[in-house]
Amino acid sequence: MRLEIKDVCIEIGGKKVVNGTDLNVNSGELHVLMGPNGCGKSSLAKGVMGHPDYRIKSGKVLVDGKEINELPANERAKLGLFLQFQEPVEIEGLGILNFLNAARNSMKRDTKSVREFMNEVKERSSGLKLKEELVGRSLNTGFSGGEKKKVEILQMQILKPGIAILDEPDSGLDIDAVKIVAENISKFMKETGAGIILITHYSRILQYLEPDQIHIMKDGKVIMEGGKELVQKIEKEGYENGV
Amino acid sequence: MSNEGLEEIVEKLDYNEAYGFSEKNVQYEDFEKGLSESVVRKISELKGEPEWMLQKRLTGYKIFESKPMPTWGADLSKIDFSDFYYYVKPKGKESNKWEDVPEDIKNTFDKLGVPEAERRFFSGAEAQFDSGVVYSHINEELDKLGIIFTDTDNAVKKYPELMQKYFGTIIPPTDNKFAALNTATWSGGTFIYVPKGVKVPMPLNAYFRINAQKSGQFERTLIIADEGADVTYIEGCFVAGTRITTSNGPARIEDIKVGDTVLTHDGTCKRVYHTQVRPHTGEMYTIRYFGDSTREIKATDEHPFLISKRAKSEYKNADWKTEWIQAKDLKKYDYVAMPIDRQVVSNERKTFAIIAKRSGGSVKTDLELHTDKDFFRLVGYYLSEGSVMSGHHVSFTFNKNETELVQDTASLLERYFGKKPIIQKEDKNGISIMLCSTIAARFFTEQFGRGAGVKSLPKWAMLEDPVKQAEIIKGFWRGDGSFMYKQYSWGTKRMFRMNTISERLAEQLRDMLLRCNIFGSVNKAVRPGNRHTMHVVYVGGEYLQEFASLVGFKTLVKAGTSRYEYLQMLNMLGEQKLVSYAKITDKYAFVPIKSIEHEQVTNVPVYNFSVEENESYVAENVAVHNCTAPVYAVDSLHSAVVEMVAMEGAHIRYVTIQNWSKNVYNLVTQRAHAEKDARVEWIDANIGSKVNMKYPSIFLRGDGAKGEVLSIAIAGEGQIQDSGGKIIHIAPNTTSKIISKSVSKGSGVSTFRGQIRVTKSAANVKSHVSCDALLLDSDAKTNTFPYNNIERNDAMISHEAKVGKISNDEIFYLMSRGISEDDAVAMIVLGFLDDLTKVLPMEYSLELKRLIKLDTSKGVG
Repeated sequence: MRLEIKDVCIEIGGKKVVNGTDLNVNSGELHVLMGPNGCGKSSLAKGVMGHPDYRIKSGKVLVDGKEINELPANERAKLGLFLQFQEPVEIEGLGILNFLNAARNSMKRDTKSVREFMNEVKERSSGLKLKEELVGRSLNTGFSGGEKKKVEILQMQILKPGIAILDEPDSGLDIDAVKIVAENISKFMKETGAGIILITHYSRILQYLEPDQIHIMKDGKVIMEGGKELVQKIEKEGYENGV
Repeated sequence: MSNEGLEEIVEKLDYNEAYGFSEKNVQYEDFEKGLSESVVRKISELKGEPEWMLQKRLTGYKIFESKPMPTWGADLSKIDFSDFYYYVKPKGKESNKWEDVPEDIKNTFDKLGVPEAERRFFSGAEAQFDSGVVYSHINEELDKLGIIFTDTDNAVKKYPELMQKYFGTIIPPTDNKFAALNTATWSGGTFIYVPKGVKVPMPLNAYFRINAQKSGQFERTLIIADEGADVTYIEGCFVAGTRITTSNGPARIEDIKVGDTVLTHDGTCKRVYHTQVRPHTGEMYTIRYFGDSTREIKATDEHPFLISKRAKSEYKNADWKTEWIQAKDLKKYDYVAMPIDRQVVSNERKTFAIIAKRSGGSVKTDLELHTDKDFFRLVGYYLSEGSVMSGHHVSFTFNKNETELVQDTASLLERYFGKKPIIQKEDKNGISIMLCSTIAARFFTEQFGRGAGVKSLPKWAMLEDPVKQAEIIKGFWRGDGSFMYKQYSWGTKRMFRMNTISERLAEQLRDMLLRCNIFGSVNKAVRPGNRHTMHVVYVGGEYLQEFASLVGFKTLVKAGTSRYEYLQMLNMLGEQKLVSYAKITDKYAFVPIKSIEHEQVTNVPVYNFSVEENESYVAENVAVHNCTAPVYAVDSLHSAVVEMVAMEGAHIRYVTIQNWSKNVYNLVTQRAHAEKDARVEWIDANIGSKVNMKYPSIFLRGDGAKGEVLSIAIAGEGQIQDSGGKIIHIAPNTTSKIISKSVSKGSGVSTFRGQIRVTKSAANVKSHVSCDALLLDSDAKTNTFPYNNIERNDAMISHEAKVGKISNDEIFYLMSRGISEDDAVAMIVLGFLDDLTKVLPMEYSLELKRLIKLDTSKGVG
């Protein structure tokens, strides 16, 4: 699978938040997207996934060469895209298991029986060190920040997208949890050959991962690309001076 | 209540004459339109009522005439009282002779299993089919407990003291214009009396129906729970989804998607290439058939069925030609074709990957099993008597007399799993066999399910050789089967039965029997209390012999059978020529149509899909060609009155799931009195109707009484749901709760009215009111009107109100997981209502969820 973001501009409520960005991801690749607060990382993620409030004003988003600018989010998901939310919504009364089961059924990506599905959820949640009772509860209702992030990763593992955009999977997590999440991400990539765009503010999570490329975004645009050394540079000098 | 009563009727009468519940054949004699004193008198006269009831009706009529229309709430000005029929009765001579009762009516009674004595009673001059509730038969069990459960018309005659004492005392006709109208014109409804200290072991329910169009429905319900009594009553009219047989088991028609493979009319599975849903206006048919009391098919008039037409006289000389016939041209006793899936994929050996958790990770083991004939008998034993405990043990429990089964199971376990099981005496009657093997435990759990309610067979087993499947049936019947032998005045009844609480398993047993050329009928028995619904597969008639040899009946004596009985059973099996209504051919099982009903509908969503090559599919087990759909009742004014009395320490729960079609004014008055320490609950779900006004109320009259109103309202496009609750605290130490959740969409308006009144005499009152509203879009409206009238300072009253709107972020989140926008909205709505729907009994809660899903989706309704 290949995701191409070509000179994309995104507006929200008439305000330009992404301003001509390019980014290409292939299966099996790990791309890291960094940048100061408000530079447009999350807006790019939502726009690519198809949030109706984040309209792609110009440029193109392509999946395997096919333009998806006008597709609704569920159709994009069916093509293999996934977005891990920075702030997942809470939906009272919607059980995680039911929700996940409905999602996997609508995507038809596996032919597992309900029983096999339940077993997989159980296995994956223990791999994420998620409390078992959590998946029996309403979606994200009353979850801690860390639990919400882990449930997002769990969803990715179950739905098995071809390319996933992970929007700050490490924020709000303690040191141990960052390690667990990072390990699960790399294990997932190995197992499924998925491509990943990882949005983060911190280098900590990158200790456990081997990114193929680092992209630095500023003012709605990717302005610098390079290897892992770029991260150290930013760590030392900050976005203002380093970029 | 079980369906066994119905089964007996099948046995008792030649089925050709037994059932005839066909509404289209009932003709209505027009009563004059509109209401007048003479109409009221005529209603009372036709019902043969005593003078006191006539007087109550006339009082009601006078008050109705003098009261103005309510000016608050929904706009009712469009109601034209002169445009309704206030009483509808079927045509036919007025006669007290059973012989003169129209055939249709007789058949209706038969279908409902009303005992002959009662049928005669009902079939007098007052014979009513429509406005009079054709009530479900009085269960013997209720009778024994002294519980009265009947329709209100009957109660007037049979229980005049109770009726005179309570009728119209909780809700007097002066209460409101519609209560007065109901008092004048009431017909049908339910009367329940529960004696002191009696707890009714099951929720009671009666279905009411509106058959003729433009006839108002004015039922009158009175429920009295004497001291310490406990009763739940469920009032409901709802729609069931049509089940389609797919290659992965049954699915709802609305869930069928392109790419699914479904069973087609010739027994092969084919791919769905197109699906559609469209509104239908016109005739809608409901077809029921013999052999599966749990199924009915709803179809548009042009919907073709695969049918074998045959007159009664020739059905023994079978030549089973099939043809496609449209629903409107179907006749009772035409045979519908149930395709038999005869595909066989047999394996002598099969490998199962078993993943077992060990400390430090999971271990995958390949379990290779010799899947021969005997192996499947062990599967049968597991499905009936097996269980998995703690993930490491598989155990089987038998009666201590069933030594042959114990030996058989033990040796099979050893043969296939290479380990000797432990046989131990459980108590004085039971023997259990336990195999300590994590791998076996996981194998049985994963392949056949763990709890009794979810046990079923995996696809590979359903495709196995019928010779092996016969062994599953053998093992299962030996565990959870029985043989019924009973003599009646009309003859002898004998049947093999297999019982399970897993609906899926019951159907699979039936399907496997068909592959073995044996016809089994499937029935559902709802059991009292919290016990699970039992699904029973019956085998009778000409299939008795074959089944007997399949399970080895002649060599096996079931525990608890006396020698005498055993011999009798044996003797009778060989003797008579037995016939059965079901015929099995190579491709199909043919079963006769039991009833066909039809009605006029407007804008009902109908589903359809197209299947490669065959253009056919199997709905509710029967081969069809086109579209099926849910149906709503059609009428325009429903104005019921429900009165309840909970005496000292009694508990009454009244559940309503209201789903009238969207042209009905539903204006209902409901009120209960709760005496000392009594508890009353109204659970009120309103989904249908054009205008709904309903505020169940409770008067807390005795010290320590409790009242609760839970209200759900869904106001879809064009609907007005005006609901809520009203509690009057009269006595001290009384507590109350009103919880309301409403959903509005488009031009729908939901209004909550909650009233709490605390009188001077009521010390230490606690009350809590909460109302949450959810708006599905920016046009939808919701109103909240709390009216509190508190005359005491020590009352603790709390009130919460919340209005929420579904946000783009929530919908986007769910859509980003591949869920369509419609489904996303339905999921959020169901989540919002979750804590209230959970209170309902399981099947009602599921049904409600389905209705809500239909209601909130776009392009439907």
